[in-house]
Amino acid sequence: MKVNKEDNMKIEDLKKLSNEGIKNIPSVERRQFLQFGLAITGVFLGGTVLSLTSAKNVDGAVSGGKILDGNYPYSPHYTMVIREKHCIDCEKCLDACRSTNNVSLHGYRTDILERSVPKAPGERERIFMPILCNHCNRPPCVRVCPTSATFKDEINGIVRMNISKCIGCKTCMAACPYNARFFDEEIRAIDKCNFCYDTKLKESNGKITACAAACPANVRVFGDLTNPDTPAYKLIHSAGKVFWVLRPELNSMPNVFYVEK
Amino acid sequence: MILEKKIDSKYITFGPQEILFVVLAIISMIGLSFGAHALLVGHDNVFGTSREIPWGILISPYVFFACLSTGLCIVLSLGQIFNIEVFKPIINRTAFLSLVTMATGLMCITLELENPWRVPFFALLSPHPASNIWWKTTIYSLFMIFMVFNLLSLFMKNEKKARIFSIIALLTVTMGNLNMNSDMAILGGRGFWSENYMPLYFLTLSTLTGCAAILLFTWIANKLNKETPTEAENNALRATSRLFLALLVGLLYFTGVKIMGGFYPEFTKNPEAMYLLVQGNFAPNFWIGEVILAVILPILLVLLSRGRNKGMLAIASISCLVGTFTLYYHLVIVGQLIPHYFQFNVVGLPQYYSYTPSLHESMITVGAIFFFLAAFVFGEILFRKINFGK
Ligand code: SF4
Ligand code: SF4
Repeated sequence: MKVNKEDNMKIEDLKKLSNEGIKNIPSVERRQFLQFGLAITGVFLGGTVLSLTSAKNVDGAVSGGKILDGNYPYSPHYTMVIREKHCIDCEKCLDACRSTNNVSLHGYRTDILERSVPKAPGERERIFMPILCNHCNRPPCVRVCPTSATFKDEINGIVRMNISKCIGCKTCMAACPYNARFFDEEIRAIDKCNFCYDTKLKESNGKITACAAACPANVRVFGDLTNPDTPAYKLIHSAGKVFWVLRPELNSMPNVFYVEK
Repeated sequence: MILEKKIDSKYITFGPQEILFVVLAIISMIGLSFGAHALLVGHDNVFGTSREIPWGILISPYVFFACLSTGLCIVLSLGQIFNIEVFKPIINRTAFLSLVTMATGLMCITLELENPWRVPFFALLSPHPASNIWWKTTIYSLFMIFMVFNLLSLFMKNEKKARIFSIIALLTVTMGNLNMNSDMAILGGRGFWSENYMPLYFLTLSTLTGCAAILLFTWIANKLNKETPTEAENNALRATSRLFLALLVGLLYFTGVKIMGGFYPEFTKNPEAMYLLVQGNFAPNFWIGEVILAVILPILLVLLSRGRNKGMLAIASISCLVGTFTLYYHLVIVGQLIPHYFQFNVVGLPQYYSYTPSLHESMITVGAIFFFLAAFVFGEILFRKINFGK
């Protein structure tokens, strides 16, 4: 990517500014940095220093200290860690999700986004990014639902649906920053990922979801944040490990984390 | 035979007003029947909405009519609650219009729901007080009840009682208006209405459209009834036009803030959406609808009319109402057009999502507007028959 003189100057100027954290940086600015091949990130392990790092695939990354405070309000506190660079877009997870949960053809519960990320000047890297409901700790979808048709399970934190209460106002769809919900005309209610609550998760005694079980590259690592022995826990609790969530500036506190490998 | 003789001829006439009412009602029914069809087959099949754009054009007439009702109630309160003499001659019509505009708004939002029949059960059995949309439905439904009692008391000439209901209705609807903002503002992930000025903006828009509706519909009513307004009515309209002008200047300020946001991202919380509105694909709509029709043209016409030329005031009002309708449409739609993952260099992701209202959505909107017009004419017929208009 060509960075011209003027752009360089802007970055130099910004580096001189005192740190205010990333939450006040408008998305336009963030986007401009990405265009330069740089991303605004926090510093890991509890720091809140503004740093400009190579964008590669850490857009929106923030420090572990900010998105994980060590308090896991649910037990088990389910999570999924996505080992992004391992994804080969075979879509076996998508098929498994659809067949296990009988997902209608009106929509999908999980998807794979293909990204073309600036790597070095003139070079781009292709990355496949699985997305699904983040089972946010502060879920905007739950907050807005007028009839509590969508709710956060008080035991395990899964954001679930009670389809018989859904009036189809679609406010939750408008509120979800991650495009994780759709209206299924067949059941006349919202459908969304529920970590296979009533299917694979139940069958496996809370061990795994259909997508994670189907993934040949072990990209989707399902686990419990209250259990330090699970691989998912370890993936985001190792010193120096870079991990991030999507769109952290919205403060929805996702429970789906991303790591490179 | 004896009974027939007793009925005054004015109760059984079927003149031009009645014909007009039937025509408007038929058009409204045709439009609304598209809503019934959409309910039967499911919105996915006939609406332009999608997973990415879940809220379509029907939210705009809902916001438009609910805010209009609020504005009418505020102007009503000037005469009925605050006893400002000059506004008293327009109390009855304003109260009626406030009621039917709210009914129209609630009808629009009902037809926007996929399962409206579940609302009465689960809004009561499974309420979610943290949800603004739950409050909004509850507040506006209560408002309608208070307004019905207000009208009934006015009809029975019990002004004291009417005033009490009017006070409760005003408090209720103002809460609803403030809630309308927070309802959308928490949808921060989608670049919706989260600007700091929004609560005041909504209140200004509501009162402004309320004034416009009074100027327009009093003029139409005078034409329909072939009446010349009394001096007291003229004074009321002149006072309303002054308020209208002041609010137009207020809206001019807010429009200026929006324009700044469109050109300079630091002036807005939604830079992507504001750019799209002011400089992007929506720019023609914005400049024609929100700037010229909603503000500039009405200001010029009100100034030229000097508050006396009723026809000119009516045109200013139509222009303003059409302009504010486009404004609400933009408020609902533009924020949703910014893709969820726009920062992620996703291959094949459009720069903006797209949305076009479908035939069904457009027809329901037309049906709702004609429902309101039919209700207005019905009100005029009723007022004439029971001698209630003044
Ligand atoms: S990702 Fe969307 S649907 Fe899932 S919990 Fe968060 S806001 Fe709700
Ligand atoms: S569409 Fe259903 S689940 Fe979503 S907010 Fe409305 S009632 Fe709740």
